[in-house]
Amino acid sequence: MTAELFEAMRNSILDGDEELAVELARSALKDELDLDMVMNEGFLKGIQEVGDLYQSGEYFLPELVCAADAMKAALEVLTPALKQSSGDAGVTKGKVVLATVEGDVHDIGKKIVGAMLTAAGYDVRDLGVDVPGEEIARAVEEQKPDVLGLSALLTTTMQEQKNTIELLENKNIRDTVKVIVGGAPVSSRWAEIIRADGYSDNAVDAVKLVSGLLEKN
Amino acid sequence: MKIRSRVLSEEEILRIHKDSIRILEEVGVKFPNETALALLENKGAKVNWDSQVAYIPESMVSEALKTAPKTFVLGARNREMDVTLPTPHTIYNMDGSGVNTLDFETGARRASILQDIADSARIFEEIELCNIFWPPLSPNDVPTEAGGVVRTGVSFINTSKHIMDEVKVKSEVPYLIEMCKVLAGGLEEAKERMLYSVTYCTVAPLCHDDAMLEATLELSKFKAPILVYPMPACGTTGPASLRSNIALANAEALSSIVIFQLMSPGIPILYGTAQGVVNVRSGMFLEGAVETALQMTAMSDLGKYYGLPIMNAGCLTDAKALGMQAVMEKVLTTLPLVLAEVDVIQGIGLIESSMTLSLEQMLIDGEIANLCKRMKDGVDVSDDKDFFDDIKAVGPGGHFLKQKNTRAAFRTDEFTHAPLCDRNSYDSWVALGRKDMIDHAREKVRAILDSEIKNPLPEQTEKQIREIMEEAERKLPEDHG
Repeated sequence: MTAELFEAMRNSILDGDEELAVELARSALKDELDLDMVMNEGFLKGIQEVGDLYQSGEYFLPELVCAADAMKAALEVLTPALKQSSGDAGVTKGKVVLATVEGDVHDIGKKIVGAMLTAAGYDVRDLGVDVPGEEIARAVEEQKPDVLGLSALLTTTMQEQKNTIELLENKNIRDTVKVIVGGAPVSSRWAEIIRADGYSDNAVDAVKLVSGLLEKN
Repeated sequence: MKIRSRVLSEEEILRIHKDSIRILEEVGVKFPNETALALLENKGAKVNWDSQVAYIPESMVSEALKTAPKTFVLGARNREMDVTLPTPHTIYNMDGSGVNTLDFETGARRASILQDIADSARIFEEIELCNIFWPPLSPNDVPTEAGGVVRTGVSFINTSKHIMDEVKVKSEVPYLIEMCKVLAGGLEEAKERMLYSVTYCTVAPLCHDDAMLEATLELSKFKAPILVYPMPACGTTGPASLRSNIALANAEALSSIVIFQLMSPGIPILYGTAQGVVNVRSGMFLEGAVETALQMTAMSDLGKYYGLPIMNAGCLTDAKALGMQAVMEKVLTTLPLVLAEVDVIQGIGLIESSMTLSLEQMLIDGEIANLCKRMKDGVDVSDDKDFFDDIKAVGPGGHFLKQKNTRAAFRTDEFTHAPLCDRNSYDSWVALGRKDMIDHAREKVRAILDSEIKNPLPEQTEKQIREIMEEAERKLPEDHG
């Protein structure tokens, strides 16, 4: 019976069915299921398979994004209970905060990176677009992410990546977080110039970049 | 709507048709074969027996076009690969005039051997839009007299698709019919299934080749479909205007249709051409020229006017190596023909004016074929493709990745994949080893050649085919010696 339930959780992620994932997460709480099992046999297993299917070329971007959002929705339901549970199911690979910098409203590249990272098991918080440096700094202080991702699509707004990093330096919180940058005009050379910790020109490599940065810790 | 292009208007088609009739009636065509001349004379052609030239009136052409079937099925030993003509979209064939191979291991250009035909047939089996296999080479390690039989046998063994070839000598015909009987399970079945067809080339200007005519007339009794294939070149073997060279090629094609319909009324005909232009300094035939593509496309307009299935040379290049010139010329000699709704394009996998085979080029041409098909399919503006609801649901500033339509649409033919093209980001491309189309094609060729043969013949059937090949190799050179 419960084996079938875990299977349904796994499938809700594989199918990218957000509503079903939420419904299954709620009933797991109501029925007081073992949350380690719910994660490891259900939702987490699903998102890992999604990652594998994407890597092997079977899944395309829409499947990945839908799966990542279903996973996120299930996690939102389960997180309070996971924090209280004694198991390790609530432990993610790390927390990532993403934002498109001030003056820039481009969203899709950052969304895709967020979906990839979610699919890889990271806890991703997306601050949105046109986010002022002060707001990003506050998120770093309050949410204490392991990684901060700054997106900019325009040559005019990539300067704001530099400004934001300098703001973190001035507030003495630059060392608390790894900062990665991305966007069409950005390059690894630019990342060096503005003292970011890393750059990737595509979402798949962004996941490798994040895991590499966190391993070094 | 689907894109449909043409290079000749109705009025221009009629003008060129009249040019061709005038050539047939006033200049005539040489048939170095008594049976053919007697048949033509008997049905109303004026014949000069000394010069072996027949003057063919328009009425005979009209009659021949009436008896030639407008639709038929080219059978394949694997029935799933049968080709119904006309085709719903352009499919592909190889051209059999190659003599060299770019060796897959060394990259060196060398004389072709029989194994090259086997390898190319195996690659061909895997290319989706490829359905008719003309073994692309004359192997250097097989006696010339038995070349056709052996090429065809090896082709039947290594691909399950329809086989086409030339018959250059009459003595090969019984062996070819025997192979078809073995594969189809009897003579009547073989005639019915049409597993084998032939290319029939005229010799420009306005001549039929005696050996090939004799052999093809013999085979026509067996009702094997015939591709008529003139190849005049502007300024050398044809007149130096595209218009008149088209008229000349069409006259040769019509004269071929007339003689085969007289010999075997109702025999299936594919209307085709491999004409072109020349290098104005050396006189060498140019396959990859834009004017070559224009002539092929004009001929397809004429073929449509006659209501016949069309197989034209295309996907051609004069480049000596894989690379930029090859791809540019191949696209320019493919896309216009696809847009003109040619049923079959003959030419993939060869470079150097169809003289040299490259296995990698076969797969690259398969990709060109896929992309041209997509271009032909155009923009679908049906209600099924009205995604207003998605636009409304997402609204200003959102994204469409989570729409159900997006997930489904990414898996339809509306959005093509081009697996041999690099579509990665710059850094990924560098990380993956800076690979280009040729590298990707090489990897796939390797994978196909390393895998088990696909759709093999039953062991016993293969043995019978090999016995026929061996007998031809043993006996035919003696007959001619």
